[in-house]
Amino acid sequence: MAGAGVIDDYVTALDRRLRGPDPVKEDLLAEARDSLHDAAAAHRGEGLTEDAAQRRAVAEFGPVTTIAREYQGLLGLAYGVRTLRSVMLVLPLAYLMWELNRKFWIGSWDAFAAPPPEWYLMIARLNDTSAWFVAGAAVLALLIGRRLARTTVSTMTLARLAGVVAVVAVGVSLLGNVAILAATAYLDAPRLLMSPPVAAATVVSFAIALRLAVLARRCVVFSSV
Amino acid sequence: MKSDALRGHLDALLLATLDGGQLHGYAIIEALQRRSGGALDLPTGTVYPALRRLETAGLVASEWSTVGGRQRRTYRLTKAGQRALAAERTAWREFTTAIEGVLGGGPWPAQA
Repeated sequence: MAGAGVIDDYVTALDRRLRGPDPVKEDLLAEARDSLHDAAAAHRGEGLTEDAAQRRAVAEFGPVTTIAREYQGLLGLAYGVRTLRSVMLVLPLAYLMWELNRKFWIGSWDAFAAPPPEWYLMIARLNDTSAWFVAGAAVLALLIGRRLARTTVSTMTLARLAGVVAVVAVGVSLLGNVAILAATAYLDAPRLLMSPPVAAATVVSFAIALRLAVLARRCVVFSSV
Repeated sequence: MKSDALRGHLDALLLATLDGGQLHGYAIIEALQRRSGGALDLPTGTVYPALRRLETAGLVASEWSTVGGRQRRTYRLTKAGQRALAAERTAWREFTTAIEGVLGGGPWPAQA
């Protein structure tokens, strides 16, 4: 059927221009295809041939570049929301996991041979609070984004905002982890290897933070296409 | 009617079409065209991203369901969507009353 190719070509062209989470993309494309077939059926009912009906349906749907831009905004936003939710839940959980693990295997920290300098205590305090700060920032961004979605702010702009918040949040968390590790290694390196399970938990925490960094980077990529 | 002029009102128009109950995407487009007497000249492909944005905003909810023997994504107003629609209608009435007062009375009398 010649007309089937018109809609298929259009949806394929749209698909090729979109980048983002597959389930959301497939959902959007399935709905677009349904709508095009509905429109074509309506035009056939008005007496057009199959091919002409589908060409008109595609023309009414809009130029593929324009529509792709709008759909890409949605995909970027969906990915941004998902990443911010992950940041909100996973980072505090990873922090709690590490602290519980440390309390179980090590208990209270032994005092340093000499009182640690003020800068070390500041890094430790920042690292202890960063997971909660970052989770709070993610919650706030989600709430503000939901409110902004009711205004004329475009989905692409919202997606970019989500990406920026995700990158900053994950960056702060990673920076806190690296800073406390480097500072502890500088002052008392053996302390890092006091307990293999705690060292393993540290590696897992880093792997989680790096994974979130990858997700955050994709947020920016998907909202910049 | 120019699509640029419609964009600012598209959210309210979409909420209004869902006021009577849940509809799938193409039925929303048909309702928009029918209720505007065919004057709404908007690329139909822009309606779906707008619906999804309203869903992100919590004003509509959607789900896949069987309509006429086919699987379709259908949309319905949420409570927040109903409140937003009521606010849009009030704002629109105030706006049209004000504009009608200025533009709708025919030529103004010449000033002395």
